[in-house]
Amino acid sequence: MGSCTKCGNPNVIIKRKASGQALCKDCFIESIEKKVKQTIKKENFIEKGDKVLVALSGGKDSVVTLEILNSYVKRHIIELCAVTIDEGIAGYREEGVEIAKAHADRLGIPHKVVSFKESFGIDLDEIMKNENHRGSCTYCGVFRRWIINRAAREFGATKIATGHNLDDETQAILMNYLEGNTENLAKIGPKTESNSELFTVKIKPLREIPEKEIGLYALAKGLDIHLAGCPYAQESFRMEISNILNELVKEHPTIKYSTLRGFDKIRPAIRSEMAHDYEFDRCERCGEPSSNRLCRACTFLEELGK
Amino acid sequence: MSFTLKIKDKVEKREIDGDLTIKDLLDDLDLSSETMVSKKNGEIVIEEETIEDGDEIEFIQIIYGG
Ligand code: SF4
Ligand SMILES: [Zn+2]
Ligand SMILES: [Zn+2]
Repeated sequence: MGSCTKCGNPNVIIKRKASGQALCKDCFIESIEKKVKQTIKKENFIEKGDKVLVALSGGKDSVVTLEILNSYVKRHIIELCAVTIDEGIAGYREEGVEIAKAHADRLGIPHKVVSFKESFGIDLDEIMKNENHRGSCTYCGVFRRWIINRAAREFGATKIATGHNLDDETQAILMNYLEGNTENLAKIGPKTESNSELFTVKIKPLREIPEKEIGLYALAKGLDIHLAGCPYAQESFRMEISNILNELVKEHPTIKYSTLRGFDKIRPAIRSEMAHDYEFDRCERCGEPSSNRLCRACTFLEELGK
Repeated sequence: MSFTLKIKDKVEKREIDGDLTIKDLLDDLDLSSETMVSKKNGEIVIEEETIEDGDEIEFIQIIYGG
């Protein structure tokens, strides 16, 4: 059945069809850490003295992001802090919050939990009771971003790290391409580059790691992660795309990598043709940066009568 | 021959005759190997691993939609 291509250990935990490598637990862990560090270096994600805020849900992606970035803390290159968002999803979110807290404690990282309820006066369960809601994930996306941006300023963070992985990135590229959404396509990339001082730069250290390997890394390292499905998750276009990619990858093992690599090459051209530089002002209601009178979070809140 | 199968909190005994790999079992159960990590007797294994008498097999779903 083959042994580890790196060290010969017979206990292999992964066979990578894309590279032909078979790896034992230790060599696999090392290969993930090496790859993430390469991405961080290549994309200039961090500079000495950065204070990086991790958006820590307790799920595999954010826990692994925290774990690997913590090696930079140990080497006194950066400082870390973390924020966990409690959307208010009864029976689902509580466990993730507890796991997130435990990781922050274990690593001695300043951490806060911020709820939708305390930020907006309404939680997701309440929002979903409304007749004409916009779909759970739309609120999550907009409200989380609002909380994370604010937390970054409160912590004095210079960067925000999210757990986006290779699957997330290739799904976003394909979705926006197939939908002809060139505006959103132009926004995809390793870093968010906004011309507004009001936004903290976002980085994606795991963007070249397949989602499955992130889960495998967490299990191989014995990291406690929140394993559960959100009760509001539903069939979505993203899921259809994800299924197509996972079907394709069986016979074309490098397809996710090549999608990302190809996109990264044409990205500068897309950006210069398509990206608008919005004028940012402050939202009249909450003071967060917005290109309109009201930011999206406040637009939603007004709709919800909050 | 029999083995124990664990998925989440569900544990069941299963019978096998002949060779069975983790991959065969995943296919039988209509589970996607893209979303699952497999353990045999507590250790992570690859899909080609064969299941033997008395093994404890655990599937951990690491990818959820949404
Ligand atoms: S799946 Fe659930 S937690 Fe995730 S964005 Fe959608 S509603 Fe929010
Ligand atoms: Zn090895
Ligand atoms: Zn606002």
